[in-house]
Amino acid sequence: MADNLEYDDKDLVARLRDTKTCRVAFGDVVKMYSEPLYWQIRRMVINHDDANDILQNTFLKAWNSIENFRGDAKLSTWLYKIAINESLTFLEKESKRNAVSIDDATANVLNAIESDKFFDGDEIQLKLRKAIASLPEKQRLVFNMRYYDEMKYEQMSEILGTSVGALKASYHLAVKKIESFFSDDD
Amino acid sequence: MKTQDILSKVNHDSGLTVPPGYFDSFNKQMIESLPVQPWESERPIVLPRSFWQRVRPYVYMAAMFAGIWCMMKMFDLMRPSSNNMIGFSNNSELTAAISNDEFYYDYCMSSLDETTMYDALFDEGFNPEELNN
Repeated sequence: MADNLEYDDKDLVARLRDTKTCRVAFGDVVKMYSEPLYWQIRRMVINHDDANDILQNTFLKAWNSIENFRGDAKLSTWLYKIAINESLTFLEKESKRNAVSIDDATANVLNAIESDKFFDGDEIQLKLRKAIASLPEKQRLVFNMRYYDEMKYEQMSEILGTSVGALKASYHLAVKKIESFFSDDD
Repeated sequence: MKTQDILSKVNHDSGLTVPPGYFDSFNKQMIESLPVQPWESERPIVLPRSFWQRVRPYVYMAAMFAGIWCMMKMFDLMRPSSNNMIGFSNNSELTAAISNDEFYYDYCMSSLDETTMYDALFDEGFNPEELNN
């Protein structure tokens, strides 16, 4: 999937900057990025309807601030930043609404995953989802991006504003914790 | 079970699914629902050009050439020209006038200074004593 994320091309950015072609170009952006962004959001918020709302907000925010996009950063990096910020804001609101921490809020959502009609994973996939949900917010994010999206550490570094070394350490810790989760459960 | 075994079993599949045709319908709805931005309707306003605006460059150009012509004419008038000089050799009327003794004595001689005139008189043998007699 990581290769598919290399959508940035100069032609698309040039068309986005031109007021005459911007709308059509943004339509192409939606078509290209809706799926990878959706999965990134979905893995964070779990629920399909929430992911759908956040994805819409992500594109609306991007469209409303397209004038500010100067092409200094990659288009994919810019969109991922917006999507992750939107997801974190959502989780924060949810935790405030339920008066629990972000991590607990995700865990609560995850408990409902078994009854989710948009989850058809097997037992081991469900167990892994639970293990991931038990991770702290940043480690969960890093694990999802690295494992499911197979994103390069360099791109993750640009999106999350964290050094490559810290991300590698975070991923390593996450894997260890998942291993521990499985061994404890056995 | 080792983590690597678990991860390889899961093989990057989260087990999460979406409704059939979700992304196609989402893309369509998303593109249709994008609000119109103020800068989208911005078009450069082209004002109709007045007659003066149309002819102004030509008028300015004509004025510039006229100015250059006047300047050249003025420089030409200020320049000392050989045609304007009055010379004896190429002016027959002046030659004729100088050849006329009467004209010469009436106009040219009168312009002689007194010393030159006395010198000429003494050269001809003029004696001032003769005037006293």
